[in-house]
Amino acid sequence: MGRYIIRRLASAVVTLWILATIVFMIVSVLPGDVGRKVLGPFALKEDVARLNHSLGTDRPFFSQYFTSIRRLFTLDFGNSYKSLSSVNDIIFPALFRSGKLALLAFVITIPISIAAGIFAARRQDKLADRAVVNVGLAASSIPEFVTAATLMSLFAVTFKLGKVYADPLPGTSFFGQFRFLLLPALAMVIAYFGYIARMSRAGVINGLQTDYARTASMKGLSNGQVMRKHILRNALAPTITVISVQVGYLFGGIIGVEKVFNYHGLGTTMLGAVTSHDVPVLQGAVILVGIVYMVSTLLADVLIALLNPRVRLQTQQ
Amino acid sequence: MSAGLPVEIVPRGEVQSSAVPPSERQQARRENWRLIRRRPSFIIGVFIVLVWVACYLFSSWLVPHHPLDFRSIPHLSPRLKFPFGTDDQGRDVLSRVIAGARDVLNVAPLGAVLGVLLGVVVGMIMGYVGGWVDQVVSRVVEAILALPVLLIALLAITTLGRSTWVVIGVIAALFTPVVARTVRAAVVAERDLDYVTSAKLRGESSLFVMFKEILPNVSGPIIVELTVRVGYAVFTVATLSFIGAGPQPPSPDWGVQVSDAFRNIQAGIWWTTLFPAAAIASLVIAVNLIADSVQSVLEAS
Repeated sequence: MGRYIIRRLASAVVTLWILATIVFMIVSVLPGDVGRKVLGPFALKEDVARLNHSLGTDRPFFSQYFTSIRRLFTLDFGNSYKSLSSVNDIIFPALFRSGKLALLAFVITIPISIAAGIFAARRQDKLADRAVVNVGLAASSIPEFVTAATLMSLFAVTFKLGKVYADPLPGTSFFGQFRFLLLPALAMVIAYFGYIARMSRAGVINGLQTDYARTASMKGLSNGQVMRKHILRNALAPTITVISVQVGYLFGGIIGVEKVFNYHGLGTTMLGAVTSHDVPVLQGAVILVGIVYMVSTLLADVLIALLNPRVRLQTQQ
Repeated sequence: MSAGLPVEIVPRGEVQSSAVPPSERQQARRENWRLIRRRPSFIIGVFIVLVWVACYLFSSWLVPHHPLDFRSIPHLSPRLKFPFGTDDQGRDVLSRVIAGARDVLNVAPLGAVLGVLLGVVVGMIMGYVGGWVDQVVSRVVEAILALPVLLIALLAITTLGRSTWVVIGVIAALFTPVVARTVRAAVVAERDLDYVTSAKLRGESSLFVMFKEILPNVSGPIIVELTVRVGYAVFTVATLSFIGAGPQPPSPDWGVQVSDAFRNIQAGIWWTTLFPAAAIASLVIAVNLIADSVQSVLEAS
């Protein structure tokens, strides 16, 4: 198990390096010089040159590339071009805020969608099953910002439930914050419900047909016991993988949700960094999303191994 | 495996040029198509898509007002003369929703088709050639899949400009790795079958074996991938134009309309957001209904 985790970590580092390289290559073909972009068209030529020198953007291509890779390994992304404050002071609070929203979304989504998957699997090909599968499919195919805007017009305005913006005033209590975050989280729940419900449905249907499930119910276990003790352990493996991959996608989808609800998380931070060509903030944020993705897929694989002794034994070899 | 058999054992004249004789394959195709056509979700999906295609083709005849005509009173709620109301500049929302079909249908299908074509070529080479080419490309594909797709698209579009062709190219580039992975898996499963080996022994070129022999036998997953990708393309294009990486105002593009209007929801003006949002949702759901029908028939056969 230990060796497996180390191997996975090593490959995650390689993937992060490729990721940083891709981001660097895209931003280094950005036209125009950074100093001019930051200071505007009326700044003096000497000031622009001085700023470029202090930001290091006048150095040769490879020297800049090595800086950006060093930043990846030291997790120090330098200073923002726009506000000149430390990138880490911008992206870590933003990650924390997005994390709060994402966590609430997952806490709601996971139990509901796994329960819906089990419910549908038990009624395979009946009306209730088709309803869960098709509604889930339709809901997850709609872009998050569309769901968010629709929820906002329905609930926040028509029924006065929830808020039209997600940022509570500083110092709002835990439950107070919950009211603000509920609608944006719900938009994400609708987006991710379908995938997770589909995976757990498929897993449970497979599990119900296995010999060990039949044996367990023939030796007199109740349906609930067979499900909990025998089927779910195996059936949930692909579901856990899907959830962990969703964590990565979430930070793409969160951009739209955060924009609609005017929430200052990682999504709006990345959006702002792209539109203002704030390269260090952008690099830092993308790397951060990459790290979150790697950690969540790794945790998922470890969790699957812990749930299933067969996988655990395989990974030891 | 059969790849190791001596040549002499394969009798001449009995080697078929493909796994399934063409006539049989054609019949299977006709049968699949008949099964797909019968599914209610396919019929509903096609109906909705056709409505939007009609809006795309005949928008100038269908719109009750010009989509950019700002001469009415702003923010009128829905009424007989303006069934979807008017927006902040007094433009008819219904006309703008009809005209907006053009922007998304110009970009999404073409981007998806290009992405699938590129993905098929890359996946074919990965699966057929194998070795270090496969290893290296697989690694890069993995890294790209770990990226927040939307963000990379946004970055590329703000760098290269917001023209239609840039958006199409970016969508294609984003989909290529995913499609390549699917095609690669399908090709690896075919690579060692008898018909491929015999084609190689006949001395056919690699290109011939890949595209004349293997390609027809992996067409199922490719067609599924294409329909699924069109759905994702509509999704991505709408989101990109919502976050500003697409057509710019005053374009009637649906994403642009939502982006322009959503801040007015809190003032009770919901129609400028809800109707273009519903248009996006209906198109995405319709394409996915089609994709789902195609997938469930082709994967069952």
